[in-house]
Amino acid sequence: MSTKPTIASVVRSEWIKFRSVRSSVTGVVVTLLLTIGLGALITLAVRSHWSQTDAVRRATFDPVSTSLSGTLFAQFAVGVIGVLFITAEYSSGSIRTSLAAVPQRLHLVAAKALVVGLVVVVVAEVACFVTFLVGQSIFSGVVPTASLSNGAVLRSVIFAGLYLTLLSLVGMGLGLILRQSAASISVFTSLLLILPILTLLLPQSWQNAINRFEPSQLGQSMMSPTPTANTFGAWSAFLILALYTAGVVGVGAGMLERRDH
Amino acid sequence: MISVVHLTKRFRKTTAVNDLSFDVRPGVVTGFLGPNGSGKSTTMRLILGLDFATSGSATVNGKRYRELVQPLREVGALLDAKAVHPGRSARQHLRALAASNRLAARRVDEVLELTGISSVADKKVGTFSMGMSQRLGIAAALLGDPGILLFDEPVNGLDPEGIRWIRDLFQSLAREGRTVFVSSHLMSEMALTAEQIIVIGRGRLITQGSVDELTAGAKSEVYVRARDTSALEDALRTRAVTFRPEGPGFVVASLDAEAIGDLALAAGVALSTLTPQRASLEEVFMDLTADSVEYSASPAAHS
Ligand SMILES: Nc1ncnc2c1ncn2[C@@H]1O[C@H](COP(=O)(O)OP(=O)(O)OP(=O)(O)O)[C@@H](O)[C@H]1O
Ligand SMILES: [Mg+2]
Repeated sequence: MSTKPTIASVVRSEWIKFRSVRSSVTGVVVTLLLTIGLGALITLAVRSHWSQTDAVRRATFDPVSTSLSGTLFAQFAVGVIGVLFITAEYSSGSIRTSLAAVPQRLHLVAAKALVVGLVVVVVAEVACFVTFLVGQSIFSGVVPTASLSNGAVLRSVIFAGLYLTLLSLVGMGLGLILRQSAASISVFTSLLLILPILTLLLPQSWQNAINRFEPSQLGQSMMSPTPTANTFGAWSAFLILALYTAGVVGVGAGMLERRDH
Repeated sequence: MISVVHLTKRFRKTTAVNDLSFDVRPGVVTGFLGPNGSGKSTTMRLILGLDFATSGSATVNGKRYRELVQPLREVGALLDAKAVHPGRSARQHLRALAASNRLAARRVDEVLELTGISSVADKKVGTFSMGMSQRLGIAAALLGDPGILLFDEPVNGLDPEGIRWIRDLFQSLAREGRTVFVSSHLMSEMALTAEQIIVIGRGRLITQGSVDELTAGAKSEVYVRARDTSALEDALRTRAVTFRPEGPGFVVASLDAEAIGDLALAAGVALSTLTPQRASLEEVFMDLTADSVEYSASPAAHS
């Protein structure tokens, strides 16, 4: 029975930890509610105002990203899921017990990332497909709709879920770096909300060059079937956000590895 | 077996552990004593690989902790009983720990039973009393049936019944041949539980040995009393003896009972009491650590 240690046993342990606290369960439910519920509300609002919508807006209207608008709110919920999975260990002090059980600290980080990533990817993909389908059925008959049989549309819906998944891992990485719930959630929120506002202070030409690198803008690019001016294509946006995520988690893991506990 | 060799740990400006060396042997309970802030918890964290040593090393069974593959099978530790996610049940906490080291799931039920918390196993840990938390911490330490056990101030917050239970548990664990290393700042507690004692102060080793050796090596005093108190006092004073009044008699520190008897005879004082007083372990400890108390209440500390 006692065999070589595998990351699998640590993943099982982290999975038990994840599902046995209320905050994770709440986070998952809130992610579903925000994505699907707010998505439905927004698509309903678009439908009811469609007759007053001018021609220019109608021409640029994207039924895909509009139906996925709930992710703009759900992104904070998944961030908090990632943050709390780490910071709760620090606030309770159980990080010492965890590290005493798994002294290979990078295994612990990998296991935690796998658990958060797998849970969120499943939840977020379900949420995104449901909100897409609900949104299209609300639009149907009044507003132009999109279909999953179109490859670019399918990619956008899948990438919306991956966007949320990467953000939950960014939250986890911030938790590893800062070790404190409030600080980590503040920084996470700032990255998504304050950063775009700050760049407004820059000259327009700079904005055009910089804005597309912002996490929230990368998300928009990932969820749009067709790229708009001054933004990345979906795949580039995905890769850049994945790099950011790897960077934040990597720095967090490095700090965990070196720190006294 | 735990080996600490020239272990030093400096935080920014404090040296918490200073060139500390000792071995903790299996088969006995070893008490780890020192005043507040003397470096006991830091030493334990260094042994567990939680903190990085500035220099020197700490090993368990000859290996550094961080090289252990399934550490819970070799070392069990209780550092802080309250360091458990308050929203998780005791059972889930133990299950997660067991899973990480591939321990059989039935071990969870066994240690819950052993520590007497089966009936509250499914309650959230946040609702636990200090005593229940300590029992859960001990359950976690015993989970992997390890040969080495470390407990940092395990009796804190326990009632007399709980203290007695813990003391018996430690002794039976040691009798099974395990290494049991228990820290405390209370010598009186360790005197009842531990067979071997390691005393530190300001991060340095002060002394180590068995309880008997430590009390034997300590300076002993003699209580002496005479009907004619002032004649006795004069006799002691003329011989420049170190003594202090206590009750109706005196406590003499610098002479043994035989020498005091001779002195009294020479001075023509009839003694009514002459009792050697073996120092208690508590006094030995106070004596040993007097110079190294980090936070003393003396007014001088404020100057
Ligand atoms: N992480 C840390 N950063 C800075 N200083 C620390 C840290 N941990 C401990 N110290 C300092 O090191 C010294 C030893 O502390 P430690 O907690 O090891 O003592 P202790 O013997 O366990 O005390 P107590 O009986 O109060 O538990 C203290 O001066 C403490 O302030
Ligand atoms: Mg301590």
